Amino acid sequence: MITIRKVVSAALLLLVGLGTAAAQNFEVKTHTLKNGMKVLVQEDHTIPNVAFYIFYRIGSRNERPGTTGISHFFEHMMFNGAKKYGPGEFDRVMESFGGHNNAYTSQNVTVYQDWFPSTPKNLEQIFDMEADRIQNLAFDPKIIDSERGVVASERRAGVDNSNFGLLNEQLWATAFTAHTYQWPVVGWMSDIESWTMADLQNHFRMGYAPNNATMVVVGDVTSQEIFRLAQKYIEPIASREAPPKVTTVEPEQKGERRIYVRKPAQLPVIMAGYHIPETKHADWYPLQLAETILLSGQSSRLYQRLVDKDQLAIQVSGGTDKSFDPALFEFMVQPKQGVDTAAVEKALYQELVRLASAPVSDEELQKAQNILLADFYRGLKTINGRANLLGSYEVFFGDYKKLFSEADEYTKLTAADVQRVAAKYFTDNNRTVAILVPEAAKSAAGQQETSK
Amino acid sequence: MKKTIVQFSSLLMLVVVMCGAASAQVTPAAKSGAGLRMPPYRKVALKNGMTVLLMERRQVPLVSLNYIVRAGSVSDPKGKEGLASATAALLRKGTKTRTAEQISQQLDFIGASFTTFANADLSGGRAEFMKKDIAKGLELFADLLLNPTFPQDEVKKLIAQRVDGVRAAKDRAQNVIPEYYHAFLFGGHPYGRPVGGDERSLTAITRDDIAAFYQSGYAPGNMILAVVGDFNAAEMEKMISDRFGNWIVKGAAPAAIPAPQMASGKRLLLVDKPDSTQTYYMIGNTGVARTNDDRVGIEIVNTLFGGRFTSMINSALRIKSGLTYGARSEFEMMKAPGAFYISTYTRNESTEKAIDMTLDVLRQLHEKGITEEELRSAKEYIKGTLPPQRLETNDQLAALLTELEFYGLSDAEINDYYTKVDAMTLADSRRIIKQYFPLENLAFVLVGNASDIGTVAKKYAPEVKTKSIVEPGF
Repeated sequence: MITIRKVVSAALLLLVGLGTAAAQNFEVKTHTLKNGMKVLVQEDHTIPNVAFYIFYRIGSRNERPGTTGISHFFEHMMFNGAKKYGPGEFDRVMESFGGHNNAYTSQNVTVYQDWFPSTPKNLEQIFDMEADRIQNLAFDPKIIDSERGVVASERRAGVDNSNFGLLNEQLWATAFTAHTYQWPVVGWMSDIESWTMADLQNHFRMGYAPNNATMVVVGDVTSQEIFRLAQKYIEPIASREAPPKVTTVEPEQKGERRIYVRKPAQLPVIMAGYHIPETKHADWYPLQLAETILLSGQSSRLYQRLVDKDQLAIQVSGGTDKSFDPALFEFMVQPKQGVDTAAVEKALYQELVRLASAPVSDEELQKAQNILLADFYRGLKTINGRANLLGSYEVFFGDYKKLFSEADEYTKLTAADVQRVAAKYFTDNNRTVAILVPEAAKSAAGQQETSK
Repeated sequence: MKKTIVQFSSLLMLVVVMCGAASAQVTPAAKSGAGLRMPPYRKVALKNGMTVLLMERRQVPLVSLNYIVRAGSVSDPKGKEGLASATAALLRKGTKTRTAEQISQQLDFIGASFTTFANADLSGGRAEFMKKDIAKGLELFADLLLNPTFPQDEVKKLIAQRVDGVRAAKDRAQNVIPEYYHAFLFGGHPYGRPVGGDERSLTAITRDDIAAFYQSGYAPGNMILAVVGDFNAAEMEKMISDRFGNWIVKGAAPAAIPAPQMASGKRLLLVDKPDSTQTYYMIGNTGVARTNDDRVGIEIVNTLFGGRFTSMINSALRIKSGLTYGARSEFEMMKAPGAFYISTYTRNESTEKAIDMTLDVLRQLHEKGITEEELRSAKEYIKGTLPPQRLETNDQLAALLTELEFYGLSDAEINDYYTKVDAMTLADSRRIIKQYFPLENLAFVLVGNASDIGTVAKKYAPEVKTKSIVEPGF
């Protein structure tokens, strides 16, 4: 599945953190190329490897009906051949020197990730291949068709055959009526089947200008070496216009929205989403504290209430994800079999009201801050983690240094701030609810043991 | 996402896959492929028989603990599958001096993590906390391991959650196909049991079963503990010894695990999930043990066959044909020979095409083998990807130390790794393919819509066993 929003556990707060600790061993050097691409380098010689990330500020929010999912499809095509390195060469060459790669697309960004042993030869090779595909991507009709099948299979695995994936898609499609966050990052199946070569080429022109990207390199390198290679391979690529601004603003929601998905299943699923502002908004930090208090760890309020005390559910997760535009604060609950979903909803909302109507204790506030600090360290454990953190902060806050000042942001906050944002955003009118209602499967095969 | 990491996450089972060897702090020579050295660590045998491994590392101010007890799900009594796993999970649900809620409050207050797991061979867990909280973290950790009380209401709650966890997992074929595959491949062998239990076996587990499993399995003689992170090893040794030194319990000897039989002929299980729009399948046979002398060579060949993005299987089924988002193969190296499998999925209509292609790629591996160029590439690949996968973080290293100790492997596993990789020849690869990659004898498990794919399934085996996914068990 595409990394969009958190689907797994609330404990996975990798991209959230406090930052006093960041000081140690964490010097970042930056350089902006003449074509506008900014390069961030953090040297770390613990293992002889490099994490090499490129963040493009383009995602499904830049799409339109008819070509939904094309950002993600394009991400796949970036591995399918350019001018100098033909189909399959990027992967073949990388793996032959001990490297591997991946990429992800979200509503907001498309991110390419290379990991490899840090020899000068490998570095030169990666820059050559990245420069090749950034400027001279090939569009072979046969390969496009084959890759369509891959993405359709990815959608079937992540959405059509996953109750969480399916319901989450419907939640966003209902919560957003105007803004482009309403469609899935992977795209609607009919769009996956229909987009054209021209659509792909347009997307490339729109999103892949060097000035629309940030490069982050962390690992066993020197910044001089990286800046020199970036100047040699990336700087000659001309800057272009950045993608058109996404100007549509989602109107204020003025009443609860509620949808049902009925399908064969043994257990129901419940999701609720509340509109919240974008990451740069001042309420981001208090919302992170609220998320931690509600969802992080087995002592969190929602685990305690839904899973432990009332025993209505076996799992509760959710939270926020960084975004350019106002997005959702999500709750996802896996109820137990046979439980009345209305009872689950009631307990969930009571907890949100409790957060809004009384201040959290000093101890609970302190606990949330400690969890955020420990999770921040966890994010720094690997060169991958650091490359992703630096890039995310640079892209979503406009400055990677925000990573280091976050501690101050959290310590400034009080219980009243948490209470205020809970009261402001967790309102009935601002809520969209999606419920998966299990139906019995219409099985032909039944229970017979053996057939010839 | 571009890559296919088929995740068998699941609430049910942690297939601890331990491929090849590993190493830690990489010497400068490692860059040229000359060698890796295990970084220094201290091995301490406490008087009560507990093994403690300590490694100082100061990249981030965190401390990681990893423990293994020599009692896995093979020790689950028949009909009570899931006992080892439930016992591990209940350690944090009450001790002599703390309730479950207090334990969670205190762990969370210091931002600590504590999770447990089990597989067929072992039970284990990992904890992580900040350097500044070492004393408190160790006190909590020791309390959970040494003083659990398994309160009746917590046992009941957890069992009920796990039963629903199995049902929830079955709502997504991808989550549960490994359980069906292990059960079908290994039959009555303990490796065929569901580690997390099933809808029936879980409800048969009582508090007394949990307490008895703990009593016999969790003993100092069965325990390996690794601590890696930002501390002084001598001080840590004293702290661990203070906490665990007085733990005197005589546990049961680890269960002997007989070698599983190889599947002979072709057998097929079709699990009906009528709403499925894709067929998920696993094909294979019994593989090898973790200590198999050919393990490095097997890892190299499997890298080429189904262990990386450009592998033969993924090239055929994804890159060249677009039949799937991903296809892969794997050897689960366990104490006794574990499973080998090829795993992928495709839409209902292309099921036959995909399975035919899978079998064809396997046949080509046997007929054509691998080339000199491929062998060189695979060697570089496993050497280059090893450090970030196993040697970068405190928790990776703690897991590595306990793993090597558990399987009776020495530091040579690390120190000689590159040499062993480099020594592999094409002749070795031919022998390894013939010896370890099945061809004619195969177990097939398909999860999908039986009314769509039932006829196709009959093509691959003389007998087709069918069951519904909502039937309890695997």
